[in-house]
Amino acid sequence: MQTPITPQEARAALDTIDRDRRRVIDEIDLPRWYWWGLALGWIALGLITDLKHPWLTAAATLVFGAVHASVAPRVASGRHRTHQLSVRQDLTGRHTARLVIGCVASLAVVTIAAALAASADGARHPVTIASVLVAVIIVLGGPQLLAWVRRRAAQASAS
Amino acid sequence: MTAPRFDELIHPGTRLSIVALLASADWAEFAFLRDQLDLSDSALSKQLSTLEEAGYVIIERPVREHRRRVRARLTEVGRSAFQGHVAALQQIVGSSEMERITA
Repeated sequence: MQTPITPQEARAALDTIDRDRRRVIDEIDLPRWYWWGLALGWIALGLITDLKHPWLTAAATLVFGAVHASVAPRVASGRHRTHQLSVRQDLTGRHTARLVIGCVASLAVVTIAAALAASADGARHPVTIASVLVAVIIVLGGPQLLAWVRRRAAQASAS
Repeated sequence: MTAPRFDELIHPGTRLSIVALLASADWAEFAFLRDQLDLSDSALSKQLSTLEEAGYVIIERPVREHRRRVRARLTEVGRSAFQGHVAALQQIVGSSEMERITA
């Protein structure tokens, strides 16, 4: 069969396609403000909990949960880091949002464990200490989680 | 499995990149495509018009934050043509490698 281009040209074209797909994969991320907002909200919740007013803590937890529930569905998929692009779901994987929400939920367990440890050690503000620790994990670990999603997407794209 | 079909309209370098970017996205704004491909506004407009006339791309103009944005989206026809083109490229490369092995 007569082909319109040489194998070398075809290889170069496939390399171009792969490079452009990776450019889109590089856009898989959550907005920075999500991680910082989550971290600051976590610390605020810790501070309020240490005030030891159960109704205030319950109200703050509800507000925190409601705000997160309204924001997360729009950004947690990793497909809308900016307003300039919507990454296809088959590139990010279907479970990125669940992964993010699952990690956030597991950090609640980490906060409780750290607060109990701090309390046992005689700390005056155990929940605040625990929430600051978890806030650092969120700010540093959140982008790393999405970097892992990008690596996985790149591997899936190459195979 | 997509049937290989070399597409003369998609193949030229700039259009290939535009379609490859759009194939990985639901949609992309004009500014994103322009910046990623380092093209002028007029050069990108020209290429998008060619793809739109072929029915491969839809140009949308949604309003966001009181500003009209221009964004491009690959149509099903365009996506199918791109997949056929990729399959054709892979076939050309694969045939060449088979010939090299059997030579």
